Amino acid sequence: MVESLLSLESVSRIYGTDVEVHALHQVSLEIFSSDFMSIVGPSGSGKSTMLGLLGLLDVPTKGNVKVNGVDATSMNDFQRSRLRGDAIGFVFQQFHLIPHLSALGNVETALLYRGLSPKERKKKAAESLGKLGLGGREDHRPVQLSGGEQQRVAIARAIVTDPLVVLADEPTGALDSENAENIMKVFADLKSPERAVCLVTHDMEIADSTDRKITMKDGEIVQDLIQGSEK
Amino acid sequence: MKRFIDLVRVAVAGLTARKVRTLLILLGPILGVGAIVAAIGINESSKGYLKAQLQDLGTDLIVANAQDSLGGFGQTPRIPEDATERVSRLPDVTSVTGTYQISNVVTLPFDAAEDYYKAFPVPIIATGLNLPETMEVPMVSGRFINKFDYEQSARVAVIGRDLADEYGYLRGEQRTISLNGIDYGVVGVLDWVLLEPSMDSAVFIAFSTAEKDWEIGNQDPTRLYVRAPTNTQLVAEEIPTVVSLGGPDGARTSVPTDLLNAESQVDESLNTLTQLMGGLALIVGGVGIANVMSISVIQRSSEIGIRRALGHTRTTIAMQFLFEALVVGVLGGIFGALAGAGVVWFTSWSRDYVMILSLSSLVGWSLVSVAVAVASGLYPSMKAARLEPLETLRLG
Repeated sequence: MVESLLSLESVSRIYGTDVEVHALHQVSLEIFSSDFMSIVGPSGSGKSTMLGLLGLLDVPTKGNVKVNGVDATSMNDFQRSRLRGDAIGFVFQQFHLIPHLSALGNVETALLYRGLSPKERKKKAAESLGKLGLGGREDHRPVQLSGGEQQRVAIARAIVTDPLVVLADEPTGALDSENAENIMKVFADLKSPERAVCLVTHDMEIADSTDRKITMKDGEIVQDLIQGSEK
Repeated sequence: MKRFIDLVRVAVAGLTARKVRTLLILLGPILGVGAIVAAIGINESSKGYLKAQLQDLGTDLIVANAQDSLGGFGQTPRIPEDATERVSRLPDVTSVTGTYQISNVVTLPFDAAEDYYKAFPVPIIATGLNLPETMEVPMVSGRFINKFDYEQSARVAVIGRDLADEYGYLRGEQRTISLNGIDYGVVGVLDWVLLEPSMDSAVFIAFSTAEKDWEIGNQDPTRLYVRAPTNTQLVAEEIPTVVSLGGPDGARTSVPTDLLNAESQVDESLNTLTQLMGGLALIVGGVGIANVMSISVIQRSSEIGIRRALGHTRTTIAMQFLFEALVVGVLGGIFGALAGAGVVWFTSWSRDYVMILSLSSLVGWSLVSVAVAVASGLYPSMKAARLEPLETLRLG
């Protein structure tokens, strides 16, 4: 059964006080379990702002953000951070791996402060790396890994907590075409009945390879396509 | 508890990842704590040496020098025999010995050394029979002048330990020394007299012998050594009155260990100054920590952003940086205290001091180092916690 995992309800985001910038205007969106979707649009269309709000990294000026039906807008930082850690997994264009930690250490970071013993953390992190084909590379530092491998470590980190939604911001932007193709296969494999995968990109080829495509322009959703048919 | 251990691990990992930076920020507290511990320790250890010396010497010996209250007219002032008697009857006095130093006598161990000993004369001291008891000094060998020697005005002498070494005197050796050509038999060697080092190279003879051979007029001493284990200062003040009793004779007293005692008191103002300087060094170290950590927060903004994205709260981020400062403070305190203790040990060893290092000083200043480091880490920690993850991830 398809469930709503993450939703924006008439969300607006305005930056600045003296000069107001309307980054998002009255946007509503629902992300369902088993969604494999993309958000596309030109620069300044509000994609990153939307990613911040969906990922609970930012709070809307107006409207509500709900995770599994729970309103996260009124939560304090502690509650929102906890919810973010449990429900959302992030993958970024620049990987954002912590340079002084090994691949295993980077994945373990997502499991910190959850009452797990180091042994349990290491086991889970190693399993997650194994799923991404990085078994045997646990002790490698980010500088010892290729771009594609670094991004796979970042994906392993994103899924190690078993999140409801994996949010990826331009995940292939820093990769060559071969690695980009491989990473897209990894994302496609992340699809599951309990999870949604949402890619934010300006690459139409990538957007077309997803099951659902949200197109944005000037802070609004202008199109929401599922398998080629307009919603 | 697991959360606490996680925080410590993350902080230690953060510090060990940048070893040179960590070493540099550690230098502040290490130098601060090390300087304070070393300065206080050296100050106290140097006094400890004097205190140990005082323990050996005792602080209850009074020296009374004869003083003629009427001016003297060129005569050497003396303390009359009856005055010596009065001093010895004072309730706190346990022993009194009078001495008289004879001048213009050339003492020779053998004839060939005449020129040398004319240039550097050896003191000849006429003394009472209980000098070793009063000075609390044992004999190295032989015996001191006894009652028989005194009654017979025997030409026997006791020599100081340094003089015995100088003369090459062997223990138990039958030996005479020549005083202006008169031979005296050496009957014993007196050990070192720490409070009166001039006695170490002196020759002691009986008062009766001195009166007969060296025309000292009578047996009145010029100096009294008085042992008063209780009320020492009070006795020292009483002696001039007891000697004089309104007459022309007088005495001026001193307690030789007084000066040493004053010197042995730890210089509190120096300690305060040292602590102020050390405190200042710690504060400078703290400013260094704050500076380096603030820069580190900017450099690590991407790391902070991703940690926030992974669900770490603002408080956790602040605690992570605060723990890094705490670890710096703890390590700085420990290594600083050890470095300071090492300097105190080396100084004490090289200068023969008695090493004194108070545990409270070590622990106290280490804790100050921790407090300064944590206080210095507060601002960078709050700065790290306030960073907006979205901003840092976009910029990073």
